This record gives sequence, C-alpha cells and structure tokens, in this order.
Amino acid sequence: MAVKHLPADVLCMGVFMDNTDISQKLQEKVYLSLLYDFYGELLKNHNKQIFEDYILNDLSLGEIAQEQGISRQGVYDIVKRCSKHLTDYEEKLGLIHKFETTRQMAEEIHSLAAELKTEYREDTLEKVLALSRNMIEVL
Amino acid sequence: MAVKIRLRRMGQKKAPFYRIVVSDSRSPRDGRFIEELGTYDPTKEPNAFKINEEAAKKWLQNGAQPTDTVGNLFKKAGITK
Repeated sequence: MAVKHLPADVLCMGVFMDNTDISQKLQEKVYLSLLYDFYGELLKNHNKQIFEDYILNDLSLGEIAQEQGISRQGVYDIVKRCSKHLTDYEEKLGLIHKFETTRQMAEEIHSLAAELKTEYREDTLEKVLALSRNMIEVL
Repeated sequence: MAVKIRLRRMGQKKAPFYRIVVSDSRSPRDGRFIEELGTYDPTKEPNAFKINEEAAKKWLQNGAQPTDTVGNLFKKAGITK
C-alpha cells in the first residue's frame, strides 16, 4: 500500500489551541504516554501491548478486545490497572517531575547564554550561575 | 473497507508528538497507514494542531470514522460540528 506523506505545502491548516480547548481525555492520553515513556518497561508484557495499543496507537477498547480475544471490560480493566501502576511509580519516583524541571532550567540557561553572547551583562551571568547551581542541587 | 482516522504517537521518548493518520481498521496493529492528514504537538504552548482540511473532509465524507480523540481535535478545529 502506497503511503502518502504529508506534503509540506500550504494545504495544511495550522490551528493553535489552548490547553483548555483540548478534551480531558486527550490530555490524559498524552500524559499517560509520557508515563509510559518513563516507566512502560515495568509493565508486564501482555498488559504493555494492550496499553500501547490504547494509549499510543489510539485503538478503541472494542478493537483491542477483538484483537486479543478478550472482553471489552477486560481490556478496560487492564488499561486502568496499568495507568494506576504508572501513576504510582511517578508518585514514588517523580522522574517526570524531575525531568521537566531540569529541562526547563536547562532551556533558561541556554537562552541566557545566547543573550550573553550578543551582549555581556553582569546580571545575566549571575542568573546563569544561580540557575545552574539550582540545577545541580535538584539532581 | 472500514477506515479509521486515528492519532499515532510518534516522537522521541519523553517528547510526545502525534500524527493524524487514515488507516484500515482491519489491520490496526501493523502500523501501516493509508494517508497522513496532519500532526498534533502537545508540547507546544498553545498546542499546535496541523491538518490538511480538504483531505480530512474528503475522508469523512467517504465514511472514515475518527476516533474519539481525533473527533475532539476536528471539532475544536471546526472541521466537524
């Protein structure tokens, strides 16, 4: 089957939406996929496959049920259970939280350094020093 | 042939990024798709959703079924009501 990739032309409509515009369900799916990135390997193989199909491939519960030969309720229970496990891991280990704060600080340092390159200022340098110190302490 | 419009998670680990794709509902697992309609980047603030509106409308008219999540995006973008 020939796959038609998206042409990079003007046909595309770009829409920018607030987070408030996006349904809770979708936001939840995005967050669960992030949890999966961090802790997915800890799920049991069979459950992992089902969770992947639901969260990453956007299959419906019914489709997965048919595919796996189990009931829709069974699929739902597995997805719920996996979500609970992953959320518990994050609660205990907080790797996503740590990752996000570290990344934010690194980004700030990066843009401050870029500023410094065009115009040297003492206070900008101080900010870089404070931020990087902060980052080391968070780690 | 039953055809679905789904999100497909792409992107590196820890950097979610989605494609909106048209795929055959009978082979949901094999990863193939018929056509890519757009992208959705939840990491951008505000969220960036790019879509080939004409193609999306054409597929919808021909009976392609969007998933709940895609349906929600389409609604917000004004493609469906």
